[in-house]
Amino acid sequence: MRKTIASLAGGALLLTALTGCSGGSDSSAGGPTELTVWTGFTGGDRPGYDQIVKDFNASHPNVKVKMVVQPWDTITQKLPSAWLTGSGPDIAAPSFDPNVIANYVKTGSVLPLTATGAGTTEINTDQIAPTLVKEYTYDGKLYAVPANYATLSLYYNKKMFAAAGITSPPSTVTELLADAKKLTNPAKKQYGLVLADNQTIQMWPILQWLQGGDIVDAKNCSVLQSAAGQASLKPWADAVAKDKISPVGLTGASADALFSGGKAAMEMNGPWAAPGYKSAGIDLGVAKIPVGVDGKAVTLGSTAPLAVSAKTKHPQQAQEFLAYWTSKAAQKKFSLATGFPTLRTDLATDPQLLANPVIATFTAQVPDARLYLPRVPQATQVDTNGYVPLIGKITRGEDIGAQTAAAGKTIDGLTGCSS
Amino acid sequence: MSTESSRQRRPGGAVHSARPAVVLKWLLLGAGLVVAVVPFLWMLSVSFRTEGDLFAHPASLLPHEWTLHGYGAVWQQLPFLRLVLNSVVFAVGTTALTLLLDSLCAYALARMRFRGRNLCFFLVLATLMVPFQVTLIPVFVELFHLGWLNTYQGLIVPRATSAFGIFLLRQSFMSIPTELDEAARIDGAGHLRIYAQVILPLARPALVTVGLLNFMALWNDLLWPLVVSTNPEMRTLPAGLTLFGGQHVTDHAVLFAGATISLLPLAVAFFLAQRSFVAGIATSGLK
Amino acid sequence: MAPSLLILGVFVVYPIGISFWYSLHDWTIGAPEQPFVGLDNYRALASDTQFRNALVNTLELTVVSVVVLVVLGLALALALIGEGRMTRVVRSAFFFPTIVSLTSIGLVWRFLLDPDLGLVGGISSALHIPRVDWLQSTSLALPTVIFVDIWKNAGFVMVILLGALKAVPAERIEAARLDGAGRWQLVRHILVPSIRPTLLFATLILTIQSLQLFDLVYVMTGGGPLFATDTLVNQVFREGFVNFRTGYASAISWVLFVLIMLVSAVQLRVFRYDDVD
Repeated sequence: MRKTIASLAGGALLLTALTGCSGGSDSSAGGPTELTVWTGFTGGDRPGYDQIVKDFNASHPNVKVKMVVQPWDTITQKLPSAWLTGSGPDIAAPSFDPNVIANYVKTGSVLPLTATGAGTTEINTDQIAPTLVKEYTYDGKLYAVPANYATLSLYYNKKMFAAAGITSPPSTVTELLADAKKLTNPAKKQYGLVLADNQTIQMWPILQWLQGGDIVDAKNCSVLQSAAGQASLKPWADAVAKDKISPVGLTGASADALFSGGKAAMEMNGPWAAPGYKSAGIDLGVAKIPVGVDGKAVTLGSTAPLAVSAKTKHPQQAQEFLAYWTSKAAQKKFSLATGFPTLRTDLATDPQLLANPVIATFTAQVPDARLYLPRVPQATQVDTNGYVPLIGKITRGEDIGAQTAAAGKTIDGLTGCSS
Repeated sequence: MSTESSRQRRPGGAVHSARPAVVLKWLLLGAGLVVAVVPFLWMLSVSFRTEGDLFAHPASLLPHEWTLHGYGAVWQQLPFLRLVLNSVVFAVGTTALTLLLDSLCAYALARMRFRGRNLCFFLVLATLMVPFQVTLIPVFVELFHLGWLNTYQGLIVPRATSAFGIFLLRQSFMSIPTELDEAARIDGAGHLRIYAQVILPLARPALVTVGLLNFMALWNDLLWPLVVSTNPEMRTLPAGLTLFGGQHVTDHAVLFAGATISLLPLAVAFFLAQRSFVAGIATSGLK
Repeated sequence: MAPSLLILGVFVVYPIGISFWYSLHDWTIGAPEQPFVGLDNYRALASDTQFRNALVNTLELTVVSVVVLVVLGLALALALIGEGRMTRVVRSAFFFPTIVSLTSIGLVWRFLLDPDLGLVGGISSALHIPRVDWLQSTSLALPTVIFVDIWKNAGFVMVILLGALKAVPAERIEAARLDGAGRWQLVRHILVPSIRPTLLFATLILTIQSLQLFDLVYVMTGGGPLFATDTLVNQVFREGFVNFRTGYASAISWVLFVLIMLVSAVQLRVFRYDDVD
């Protein structure tokens, strides 16, 4: 008796299950096409992106874009399976790390962008910074456009500089190191230069480049263990391990918190951080990253990819949206609102942008900017299994020679370096 | 007099030893109490503090300057009532359904004889041992094929039975003397009536336990609602509050205001119904 | 019971089976080809130092937290078995963390222990105690996470054991006391044996929970620093969702699944859980 009821209930459940199957039909008969966009822009730059979407909707009555902002972590967890099943958004910024696009290309979940050209509804790749176009091109096909392009600058706390008797921000890497040490005061829990090494926009490669070192060479072979590689890490590893210019093992968010809490005198960070620092009441200075030992300027460039789902029902409208996002008008407005440098080459000398000192500082560094592990195979794993552990170890006082050798081996194994 | 007799019934307090031991016991408990309570007080305090205050006076438990901006930000940026509604529908609906299904299943396992019963019980126990992350992707794909993503049934049905609940209820049902069923059966009751009229009323404490444990787990659950709801309108409270843990978010007041808010409903329920909470959990260990 | 089994079957058993199927492939979600690799993933695990590290961490965490929790929970239950007002208040306070989500707890403790802005760091520097980087130190991070895990669950164990202790018949205790049993003997020979099933239950549940620990680690340390707090489920998450190696992640979860089954079976055997009616 009871069993019958139970199986009936089971049957009913199965039935709902089956009927549920037929749902999800396309209802694009009338009304505007709806596009969903996922991004992780929760920082101070968020209003700038919101504005792009708002303007697009206003000028495109037949398309309605809805942008859902959630933390990058959440996107990382949900997007792969969402796109696999086609239930995800039409467009997404899968990560703040451009290298993850490679993973999505491999799994066939991103659409190759074909609507390129100079027309108003086309993505104008000729006017987008070539580094970025190259970064998102795989086997000759473009799979994403840059949602933004940022360089890192040196933020400094003017009050702390004055208290230490330093009149101007450092202009060479030697000065940077000296100032960082001078501004450090363990008794007052004050740090000269906070350096995050995990869950962060990478800061350490900049230091390495400034000191004449690098992570991998053109053949994707590790050069960390080379003489130049070790020499580039040594002064900064010592500065953290011995001089305590920064706490060890910081995440990006905790480094930001130290700077906005007035506990750190300097931090290398992107333009998105400025609004938060200002509202925290920091007497804020923004300077170019100091020049390296060879006298040349270099900084890290950072770009978040914006890609279209391979299963979107509206590939044409989605690409039209990307075209609008990267258009001259939208990008100019975006830079003015957020202080980001421009991702378009035809805006690089725009007088209105350069009149803003923050934009000017970030923009001035665009020509010298390099991406982190650009197009290195398995870059995400090179980062989590190779580079991040290496920095973690040497800043905790472990031997640079041994650790770079180990990291080099790991990285070569991942990239398939063949030398 | 009365204290004397009640003391004798208490195993732990039964042997009241010398005073120093009692003092030491309460000293240790006092220290434990501080460790147990201070983190929550601190969380509450930080949610009202400004960033500058937090860094300037890290040793202080109380704010030097009060600010409501953490709560303001949470309120402004979240469809708050919608989140609460979703949380309630999810936690209450799932708990109710779980109680029904688990108790039916437990009844069958405890009282009915059929082939493969032990296998069934073993399967139930085995599912207890699977980490959720393992089944995440396949379940997601299934829900997609059912068209259940972003729906309440997608949120509820896969969680509507818990191996732990079945296990607990079965133990509880088995401790009810079978003579009672026999008596009912002689009166002509079938399984369904025995289940509803004999077993369920007697197993009330266990049902309360399973209900409470489930409700707490569901209310606090983060990953599941996040996975099922690709649409922010279907978020639950904890999932919605993760919005404030982002990459560039350094405002601790907002973060902690969010944590406080998500804790609040359960905390209030706890203080109102403390006894049933504690009694409920306590019975979970009884066979 | 059919609906329950149907749900468990559809949403638990079947996905587990599928994940085993994945683990035999070089499976990448969504990829056009999923090459069959047999047991290669499992072989790769044998030489994967990250896996070994996560396994060791998980086992260490489980053993320490379960042992401490059962002992501490029992001690608390014995100490707080009375019905005095103070006793009740203390009991509630210890129990309170049980109802709070691991994510909130992880968040609070992460910042509470932060040497620069947390209360712990603030007080210790006010007292001129040297700075301790609890969660940034490779040797202290895991013990710290274990501590927080214990902190959260101690009240739960206490309450479960309290329920069992209260059900011990008063006559039995009285009889033992008349036989001249001391406090310790009473605990050792009367109380603990009487609540054995409950102790087993608590141990089993705690073991399974600890072996699956993820949320707390994810929120507090993300598995760092330098994988010092990496657990198996955290590695499953990283390989599956960050590196897109679904097949490999499935293999790790299967190892974990088998491990949990084994440990549970051993515990049931050791405690002689004569439950089969």
